[in-house]
Amino acid sequence: MEAIIRIEKASKCINRGRPNEIWPVKDVSLQILRGEVVVLKGPSGSGKTSLLSLIGCMSRPTEGRILIHGRDVAKLPERFLTDIRRRLFGFIFQQFNLIQGITVRENIMLPLYPTERSFRDMKDRAEELMESLGIIERQHFRVKGLSGGEQQRVAIARALINDPEVVLADEPTAHLDTKLSKDLIEILRKLKGEGKTIVIATHDPLVYEQDIIDRIIEMRDGRIR
Amino acid sequence: MIKHLKILEFAISSLWRRKFKNLGIIFVFSLIIFVLSSILLLTYSFKKEAIAVLEGAPELIVQRISAGRHALMPVEYMKKVEKIPGVGAVIPRLWGYYYDISTGGNYTVMAEYSGLKDLVNIMEGGFTGEKGTCIIGKGISDARFAGIGSIIPIIGADGKVRKLKTAGIFTDESRIITNDLIIVTPDDFRDIFNLPDNMVTDIVVQVYNPTEVDNVARKIKKILPDTRPITKNEILRTYDTLFDWRSGMVLTMFLGAILAFIILAWDKATGLSAEERHEIGILKAIGWETSDVMELKFWEGLVISSLSFLTGLIGGYVHIFFFGASVFSPALKGWSVIFPEFHLMPYINPYQIVVLLFMTVIPYMAATIVPSWKAAITDPDVVMRG
Repeated sequence: MEAIIRIEKASKCINRGRPNEIWPVKDVSLQILRGEVVVLKGPSGSGKTSLLSLIGCMSRPTEGRILIHGRDVAKLPERFLTDIRRRLFGFIFQQFNLIQGITVRENIMLPLYPTERSFRDMKDRAEELMESLGIIERQHFRVKGLSGGEQQRVAIARALINDPEVVLADEPTAHLDTKLSKDLIEILRKLKGEGKTIVIATHDPLVYEQDIIDRIIEMRDGRIR
Repeated sequence: MIKHLKILEFAISSLWRRKFKNLGIIFVFSLIIFVLSSILLLTYSFKKEAIAVLEGAPELIVQRISAGRHALMPVEYMKKVEKIPGVGAVIPRLWGYYYDISTGGNYTVMAEYSGLKDLVNIMEGGFTGEKGTCIIGKGISDARFAGIGSIIPIIGADGKVRKLKTAGIFTDESRIITNDLIIVTPDDFRDIFNLPDNMVTDIVVQVYNPTEVDNVARKIKKILPDTRPITKNEILRTYDTLFDWRSGMVLTMFLGAILAFIILAWDKATGLSAEERHEIGILKAIGWETSDVMELKFWEGLVISSLSFLTGLIGGYVHIFFFGASVFSPALKGWSVIFPEFHLMPYINPYQIVVLLFMTVIPYMAATIVPSWKAAITDPDVVMRG
């Protein structure tokens, strides 16, 4: 199977040269194949989220290379990285990272605002996703008033609005109870069925013990064990 | 195109989400524009009014100066001026000031002369030329509740009262020129102020060729060294300087307040809250480019500053031209107390408005965009982690 993402000896340093210098990711090499569901597993502070940021082009490695479809993106200008983020990835964040004061529908459509897609097109796509995730009745609600599970679904819908090849999820069950976590697994299963590549950073056994997981990569102190 | 419209739509929705903060900024910003535009509009209108008033004024007036002060002029001076080549007519004028104890106002008293004939168009009633009659301005008419036929008592230099019958009243529209004016006959004027027959207040000199006015003025000064020729252009320049100085004074008075407001607005506008930084991080993470975030902030800044600018400018306009500049007029007008209702004509200098626009809107937009740009160029994961 084709490797969508290949990471070669990537390291990430924060506050380099200062007394508080840290290396959340150190000398990591891995590859992620198309259609795979991969879990980055490890305790808090092991570098899962930082590695996920590198994979999703949200930050650049201090050392090493990140190849997406065989192209090294680490040195690309910011504009190209944004374009890759927009076209290739959908992000599901631990804190949901929704914009509180706007409606469910607006939050979901947000990634498509700086594109030439029409409002009608955006609305249709958002409604389709809300329908499939069971939040269509909530479309005009402000996200502030939603339950954790509903906010999670809004975040998933937003991650999927641009029909990404890869879905990146950072601790997706951290704020969900068991039932909602199981619901999320079902959504991920459905996405896998649709051929999406999924990378999940988690230390929740409820996630990494699921049969949909193809591979578990264990991390500790910024390195792959 | 559609992309920009969508970002504008999102900018307006973002502003509405933080409506209390933004309404506060708009309020303060509008207030600053209101003060500045009021001063500019008022000063400019005064200048324009002054120019309008002086349009009908003589090109050249000659006054006698004694010990640095305006003094009465002997009528023989007129003959010497008449002999200067280029001089058409020399007309004597009699005028002075009268303090009216009963109303507490200063009136300008003037004797009829041929140069006043145009004033007939701006009065009810008219010149009769009869001794013991007068024509009064609307301000005096209002202050003394006087109509045509009413008696205006004037205390002369000898302490005795003269009763002048009102033969005409200047119209409301001519207030700027005539509000405090009383026109009397030359005989009455001399009688009231005990002025000798061989003396006049000053003289109006008509010059055939308007471009020769300065030359004639120089010649008069040479022949009559104790006189001061005043050209219309000089008066216009003085008005200009006077109102510039007054607007500067008012601006200085308000400077402290304006600065305090600016600092407050600056702090509110430029300080990016944690929530806003987080939002920028989210937008970047989900695929917004730095330029998209900048465009969003540009629209936000443009909406706020344009709205504030228009509100402040319209407020300033209404304040000056509908409410008679009630906040600044005491400092800027500087007239006698007889000017209780003074309505300015709305004159606007587009150049000043454009300068005001550039001096307020552009710095505001720069001040709000820069911190957002700083947040937007940072990696989204750094912004989101705070």
